[in-house]
Amino acid sequence: MTDTEGYVDQAMAGLAEPQPMYKALRESTPVFRSPQAVVLSRLADIEMALKRTELFSSSMDAVDLGNIRPLIPLQIDPPDHAKYRRILDPLFTPREMARREPRVTELVNEMIDRFADRGECDFHEEFAVPLPCTVFLQLLGLPLEDLDQFLEWKDGVIRPEGESGYDRRHEATAPAAQQIYDYFERAIDDHIASPRDDVLSSLIAARIEGEPLTRHEILDICFLFLIAGLDTVTDSLDCFFVYLARHPDHRHQLVEQPDVLPSAIEEMLRWETPVPGVVRVATEDVEVGGCPISKGERVSPLLGAANTDPAEFPDPELVDFRRNPNRHRAFGGGPHRCLGSHLARMELRVALREFHRRIPDYEIKPGTELTYTAALRSVESLPLTFPVPT
Amino acid sequence: MSRVCVDAERCEGHGRCYTLAPDVFDADEVGHAVVLVENVSGDLEAQAAEAEKNCPEGAITLTAAENRR
Repeated sequence: MTDTEGYVDQAMAGLAEPQPMYKALRESTPVFRSPQAVVLSRLADIEMALKRTELFSSSMDAVDLGNIRPLIPLQIDPPDHAKYRRILDPLFTPREMARREPRVTELVNEMIDRFADRGECDFHEEFAVPLPCTVFLQLLGLPLEDLDQFLEWKDGVIRPEGESGYDRRHEATAPAAQQIYDYFERAIDDHIASPRDDVLSSLIAARIEGEPLTRHEILDICFLFLIAGLDTVTDSLDCFFVYLARHPDHRHQLVEQPDVLPSAIEEMLRWETPVPGVVRVATEDVEVGGCPISKGERVSPLLGAANTDPAEFPDPELVDFRRNPNRHRAFGGGPHRCLGSHLARMELRVALREFHRRIPDYEIKPGTELTYTAALRSVESLPLTFPVPT
Repeated sequence: MSRVCVDAERCEGHGRCYTLAPDVFDADEVGHAVVLVENVSGDLEAQAAEAEKNCPEGAITLTAAENRR
């Protein structure tokens, strides 16, 4: 086995520091055929694949999450994709997210209250997991007591037990998927009966050329929100706090120069790339960088490799909170650019600001071995210790 | 003096421009970029240049405009 293959194998199992793998791939085999997919690691190829959706489709054939219809809008390609984004994008603009910020600030502080006096916490379990899930429930207008149920379903489709490959995912994920559909059926009924100021009510009220969305369309949007909105912010929080715990100088910079926060978040998104890659499927026989790809083959643009490509980023290994410009692709690009990017940025900004205001110094509990999860980069547990605030 | 142009075909609503250069760009109802001030100089020109080099889709261009007196 070559080094590169070894790296890719490890990546499937979750890598603490994937950046050396990105570099090795880019320098040795920028178009790499792994058993699961053809992996792209050069920024130019990745950008091309993300933009050219007619060649590299994001359809249901790319990833199986147990769903029985395409997830909207992720698994619908242009031109139909645009009609859904026209009604979804307005619900997730930076301005709309700013409106939600005060409530998220309260929520973050309530969570910190629960462990601040203890001098330690499991950051993953007590903060990174419940925060995005609670925000999601509030945003959609769902009961907060459904939190644990949601977490179980999310893991059931993203990390099905005993199954890590691409091909046998359907059986492993279908039961949880069915429960998700059933749950949202009931939630939609409830919101039709009593509309309120939340995203689910907005979806019910939305019109495309005068027509409301069908029941199936609303379900397929809700399903996507659940898998796209919960795990990814958890992953980002885990990655960022591990980084900051291990790099006190960077952490001090955040505490002492609060104005650096927005660009620090962009830089940590670049460096950590919590969603390291996406998956597409070739719609015809194509060639990328001299490598033939057959119609129907899976293709994986490695966003993390794009984000460390020296063709775009001078000194890509240097983490500089004031890096400028920073055209990172952590949220992808092209028509399928992450719909929730502004929600994610708002959650991350509030979480980092409030946490460091209240707990500026912390470290990973000595002796801890961090285990990263596959595909999406969270850690299984992140014990932090810190001085009790006086 | 520069002239600011957004290629609407390329813009995907990343929102970097109106975040980094709020005096030059705004968002439309879906969060795509709208140019507020087309001809920019001084501080506005500097802001617009920041947006141009940070746009992930390369959708913004600044071109030298004739300085009319």
